[in-house]
Amino acid sequence: MAEITFFHYIHKDTVLHRMDGRLKLICLLLLSLSASFASKLEHYLVLLFVVIFALLIAKLPIKALLKDIKFFGIIILIVIVVDAFNIPGDPIPYFPVTSISTKGLITGLRFAGRLTIIILVCAVITGTTSLMTLRNVVEWFLRPIPFVPEVRIATMISLTFTLIPVIFDNLAEMMYAQKARCVELRKNPIERINFIVFPLLSQTLRKADEIVYAMEARCYSEVRTRAVFKTNKIDWLLLAICISVFLFVIL
Amino acid sequence: MPIVETENLTHIFPDGTIAIQDISLKINKGEFVVIAGANGSGKTVFARHLNGLLKPTKGSVLIDGKPITENIIEARRKVGLVFQNPDSQIVGQTVAEDVAFGPENLNLPANQVKAVVKESLEAVGLSRFSTRSPHTLSGGEKRKLAIAGILAMKPKVIIFDEPFTGLDYPGVVQVLKQIVKLHNMGHTILLITHELEKVLAHADRLVIMHKGKLVEDGKPEDVIYHSENYGVRMPLNDGQKVATLTWLK
Repeated sequence: MAEITFFHYIHKDTVLHRMDGRLKLICLLLLSLSASFASKLEHYLVLLFVVIFALLIAKLPIKALLKDIKFFGIIILIVIVVDAFNIPGDPIPYFPVTSISTKGLITGLRFAGRLTIIILVCAVITGTTSLMTLRNVVEWFLRPIPFVPEVRIATMISLTFTLIPVIFDNLAEMMYAQKARCVELRKNPIERINFIVFPLLSQTLRKADEIVYAMEARCYSEVRTRAVFKTNKIDWLLLAICISVFLFVIL
Repeated sequence: MPIVETENLTHIFPDGTIAIQDISLKINKGEFVVIAGANGSGKTVFARHLNGLLKPTKGSVLIDGKPITENIIEARRKVGLVFQNPDSQIVGQTVAEDVAFGPENLNLPANQVKAVVKESLEAVGLSRFSTRSPHTLSGGEKRKLAIAGILAMKPKVIIFDEPFTGLDYPGVVQVLKQIVKLHNMGHTILLITHELEKVLAHADRLVIMHKGKLVEDGKPEDVIYHSENYGVRMPLNDGQKVATLTWLK
């Protein structure tokens, strides 16, 4: 898991890493909404320019990100193919496969464009924002809502993300241990899943129990030190750029 | 007055298993106590009572002369517990965030949290890793991070539960050096282990637990010869002195 760069925080000292987490989350919303409403080619070009610009100034490892994005590439391709075949319309001139419609292909490409931009925006935000900052931002946004235990929700989010790599490590170790005892010879996939799911679940619950004890030992409390957010002029400028992009797309 | 005291401490699990029984022990300020015992002898259950994580079925725990139940948060701040598996203790996504967890729970002002995190990381020599993900650290470094997380709460007593489990030779040396340094700085140390050969030379006292009971308590050089009666390897060779039982050069 440590080798995967996508959706992982990568510590660097850049404008985006230093940006106020609250404004960064608003930027994420604005750019994702802009991608959802984009309808013309120039909308996509502007959004793509903004995302590439963000990737460059965040100094994120673009090559590694593109390598990790392969999984999403398959989903995007499926979206294009399904739309191209299923949406009725005129066939593409001079193209041998007549069941592909021009309208379907364009719709598919548009959808793929939106998805790509949203994925890249998320990669920029998660790559430049530590989990603790995201946790503090979530807590800050939830605080004014009555009857919502904002600290508990934020802690749950933070613990979930912290535990994911640990659970994957356990899973990998279990799979190796079972392979070492020739689990491949068992042909029934349900039986094989059983051998993984139950031990993993029991180990995860035991680990959760240990974490609860460890948190209690360090005086876990919902009355905690509140995060201090700092906003500078560059943060406001970046927010202004995102608002402009959003207005450009919807107007 | 002892800094930690237990009186007839007994813990019985809901299924009737007696984990510890009638343990009365006094630990004085600045002492380095090794608690040894075979697997299942009740060492970890005992340690968890000293931090208020478990409630006794019978008996009591006093910290600085006050019952632990009087102010559990203060007791947990005074008695830090470093868990056997450091992965269970790590809750932050970066080293610094993890160390900040305790002081933030104590609701310290943000600038004070920052200062105490810096100080704790410096104390264990992990300052250069402050922005790293804890899961990328080595075994010895993870233990040091767990220690920093406890130091950030300014404890008087630090309990180490099997601190050498799963560590290679450099890892054991790293952690042992840290423990000895903390003792020299004035912390009271309680170290749970069955690997006496790694640490006993630094201890003032050796306590042995067996089947939930405290069976031996005294100077290491007096108690060590009985250890094999209770499933703990006696690490001395013929004519060897306890003072030589260390992995530090």
